[in-house]
Amino acid sequence: MLIFMIVLVVASGAILCAQSAINGRLGSHVGVLESAWLTFTLGAMLSLLYAFLFEPQHALTLFTAPRWQVTGAFFGVVYMLVIVFAMPRVGTAAATVSVISGQLLMSLLIDNFGWLNNPVIRLSGARYAAMILLAIALFLIYRSNARQGAQAMALNGESNEHPHLKQS
Amino acid sequence: MKHVWLIPLVVAAGMGLSVEAGLLGPLGEEVGHAWAVVGIFALGSLLLTFGLIFGRPRLALMFSQPRWLLTGGVLGPVYVAALTIATPFVGVGLTMVGILFGQVAASLVIDHFGWLGSARREVDGYRVAALVAILVALWLIH
Repeated sequence: MLIFMIVLVVASGAILCAQSAINGRLGSHVGVLESAWLTFTLGAMLSLLYAFLFEPQHALTLFTAPRWQVTGAFFGVVYMLVIVFAMPRVGTAAATVSVISGQLLMSLLIDNFGWLNNPVIRLSGARYAAMILLAIALFLIYRSNARQGAQAMALNGESNEHPHLKQS
Repeated sequence: MKHVWLIPLVVAAGMGLSVEAGLLGPLGEEVGHAWAVVGIFALGSLLLTFGLIFGRPRLALMFSQPRWLLTGGVLGPVYVAALTIATPFVGVGLTMVGILFGQVAASLVIDHFGWLGSARREVDGYRVAALVAILVALWLIH
């Protein structure tokens, strides 16, 4: 059972990555704004159906909770626009590792200062080391991209950019 | 790589995602997690609809694409559902590590084979080393 659950979690991470790749591809065909709009609108429809049918009643609702707590949506929209734009240009791996680095960096900062009413967890040696390792990983993927780009250019006089981006 | 400047931008977007998660958690405790997700998606959808109305939307072009290209919006809720099912069994820490591992591994595979319309970027020594560095970093944090 535990193994099955771990496989499920790893698969859902893979799904997240596939989602970004699909959205990036769609964005390069029809536009960044259109692709992000489709993702949010479909997400709103599906989550509304689920919440309406299955979520038990709570004392507070979205309309009575403090307004600033709902402002997270602005970050989500900016993220979606950036990722749809960047994914076909820098590649799936570079974009994914960049997002993860940003997420972990910010979550370490939030922990360290206890922002947004979260408990304070101070930065330790292990956490500093983890940040350095993430920076190294990003650099390695950048090196790999640069090397393969140079190779592709030497082979056929073309960059390895996404074919659909050249038209625009 | 011509688009190096995009990488800090994507890192910043990832930082925003953590802020969103930090806001979403407490909101979910108060109004229910499903409704918190509805709030985020609905507000985002409204904002982007404004953008579309005042931009030059190419919606006709979008709906003439093959249908699998439109499934990105459906996969998000699938991910949320999988998390909801698995977290009580394996714990939050292991869940996070599993997701991040799944993401990075899938990104290397997608690039390697050029799936989902990505440009092909083969797995090489650099990429394997990057994967190892990320795994060690995750182990250090959790």
